[in-house]
Amino acid sequence: MRYKSQSVAYWYFAVAMVLFGLQLVFGLLSATKYLGPDPLLYILPFDVTKVIHTNLLIVWVLTGFMGATYWMIPDESRTELHSVKLAYLQLILWTLMGVSAIIGYLFRYGTGNKLLEQPLPHKIVIVICMLIFLYNIGMTIKKSGRFTTTEGVLLIGLVSSAVLFFPALLYYENYTVSIFYRWWTIHLWVEGVWMMIMGAFLAYLLIRLSGADREVMEKWLYVIVGLVFIAGILGTAHHYYWVGVPQYWLPIGGLFSALEPAALAGMAIYAYSAMRRSGLAHPNSLALHWTVGSAVFALFGAGLLGLAHTFPAVNKWTHGTLITAMHGHAAFYGAYAMIILAMITYTLPKMTYGRSEKGSSLGYWAFWLQISGMFGMTLSFATAGLGQVYLERIMGMGYLDAQLKIQVHFLMLIATGALFALGVALFIYDFFRHRPRFEADDEPVEDAPVKTRDS
Amino acid sequence: MTNRQARVFAIASTLIAALIFLILTLDSHRQFGELTNAENITPEVTRGKDVWHKYNCINCHTLFGEGAYYAPDLTKITKHRGEAYLTAYMRDPSKFYDEQTHRRLMPTQDLSEEEISDLIAFLDWVSNVDNQGWPPRPIMVTGAAVPTEFVADTDEASAAPAGDTTPVTAEDDPRAQGEYVYQTASPACTACHSTQPGVDMAGPTLAGLVTRAQAIIAAESYPGEAQDVEGYIRESIVAPSAYLVPGDMYSAGGTSFMPQGYGESLTEEQIDQLVAYLATLK
Repeated sequence: MRYKSQSVAYWYFAVAMVLFGLQLVFGLLSATKYLGPDPLLYILPFDVTKVIHTNLLIVWVLTGFMGATYWMIPDESRTELHSVKLAYLQLILWTLMGVSAIIGYLFRYGTGNKLLEQPLPHKIVIVICMLIFLYNIGMTIKKSGRFTTTEGVLLIGLVSSAVLFFPALLYYENYTVSIFYRWWTIHLWVEGVWMMIMGAFLAYLLIRLSGADREVMEKWLYVIVGLVFIAGILGTAHHYYWVGVPQYWLPIGGLFSALEPAALAGMAIYAYSAMRRSGLAHPNSLALHWTVGSAVFALFGAGLLGLAHTFPAVNKWTHGTLITAMHGHAAFYGAYAMIILAMITYTLPKMTYGRSEKGSSLGYWAFWLQISGMFGMTLSFATAGLGQVYLERIMGMGYLDAQLKIQVHFLMLIATGALFALGVALFIYDFFRHRPRFEADDEPVEDAPVKTRDS
Repeated sequence: MTNRQARVFAIASTLIAALIFLILTLDSHRQFGELTNAENITPEVTRGKDVWHKYNCINCHTLFGEGAYYAPDLTKITKHRGEAYLTAYMRDPSKFYDEQTHRRLMPTQDLSEEEISDLIAFLDWVSNVDNQGWPPRPIMVTGAAVPTEFVADTDEASAAPAGDTTPVTAEDDPRAQGEYVYQTASPACTACHSTQPGVDMAGPTLAGLVTRAQAIIAAESYPGEAQDVEGYIRESIVAPSAYLVPGDMYSAGGTSFMPQGYGESLTEEQIDQLVAYLATLK
């Protein structure tokens, strides 16, 4: 670590890790309820475990984004953070917000509005945290006067995330209109501005890890951002199927969300070619695994599995089935969970004592267990969803009876989910087993030196 | 491509996409009122929406196919189940479904009577929103019934006469026509009744109907007015509460949960056909 203030990232990552672990507890609990009967029916019913599962995801991913940003900005702008105190204050507020929201959900204190269940006071704290964050980052860049393209993309992504949260603060009389604006926040986050954030981290990591030429990487970053937005903004339409909005959203959704894989394929090719050029010469090849893995898994989960049910003629049968859960799990994990795990794996050797730059075998186990576990979970949801679509939607079997017929896929879901949880447990253990280290090193100021095949 | 061209591409494509999106958003606002029957959003419907949110319904059920996927979609539920049924169901779901059988059960939510009627008003408003005819065929809660009409596309189905397997022209046997009425009445009989022996859905199975009807009208305790099997079936369709099949899941307070409106929504001829069909279920 070159700047002492980068160490705030460690605490952000630590909080993210704890919340990630908790998210899995509630995920596994929800999965077992698919098998039933549920002994916790009146203590912890499915709606509670599910809302906690998805909210923890959002909170830990955002915590990870913030931590990764606090690491990356000093590196890119070559200066200490504007205010370490503010960064810690923000983390404390943010964590309190997250934890109290989760406790509230246990007692059904929430808005009951899908993915935006946070009560209004919590939403206001979220806005305050975002403002502190953006101020701190903005002032850091302003102070240094060095502003890279990668930073620019990241910053626009973060500012837009905050702006797009505003529709979530409003009250809508008409349920259909509230659905319409829910996706301004959620969809334009995950398939728009968060993609910019992911792209920026990807570019940062690839420049550091593969020694790829900054000029070239940043040029392609622009192209990817352009592709993401052409497909992503109008692709919001695929959330407007069958919810009571005008008909024209159907063809628009079909056309533009079919383009989304192009942006994601671009990202995967971008990562892979950067890796090929460098020949994995950076010592931290575990971080490179996560980085390239993220781009590839996002192409699979977000791109291809999204495409699988995005055309209206297909979606009218699959809409509202476990097919959506299949896509959601693989997409979120590939695009967002993995890019944060990549940032953590890259930065951790610089922030802890006694950790090998190359990564431990424990770290590789964590990587492969998670990948295979998540792949298995995705297949379980896919097979369960296909069964559901054919039995319930096409053959006309009742919902409850169709669910009984696909029990075997829920068994597979729990088995592969356990494998995934084991991978995550190893990652978390590996994270905490080395003591943190908060001194700055005398690293060279250039982008990290890298041995290439030619040199 | 130079770095600058790439930047122009990124900015221009974002701006163009955002502009188109905003224009379409404005146009959607122009149409929301008509598509969603906004004039029908009464205070009751709004309170019902608050009930829907307060009890976190969307984290098990789906509405317009959105939500969690752990419980049935409720977009058209008020088209399949009458108000009396839904009211009794929401008071205590365990009277209707068995957790051991279905491995899932809705926990009792302790809703007040007012909350229940508001929620039903909200769900009824939802069921009338113009959402491009989704779902393309009814999503059932339990049972298995395949009315041929719904296998085809909805658009085609409503325009063209029913599928090849159900004859429905005036020359056809009234019992065959009755089977068609059974599948296509609104709400469809198939939404709640099975003709498989032992398959009790929201309503009792109709297998063995004739034999049971004979026993019911012969019994001294029978309160209705029917003299014969056909008369009993007709009475059950137009006045469901005249005789109540025992069971908390079928009636409450002397009123059957079966929709009361078939006497009006079906023509006299259709009822004759339906009776003729049902009278074949020995």
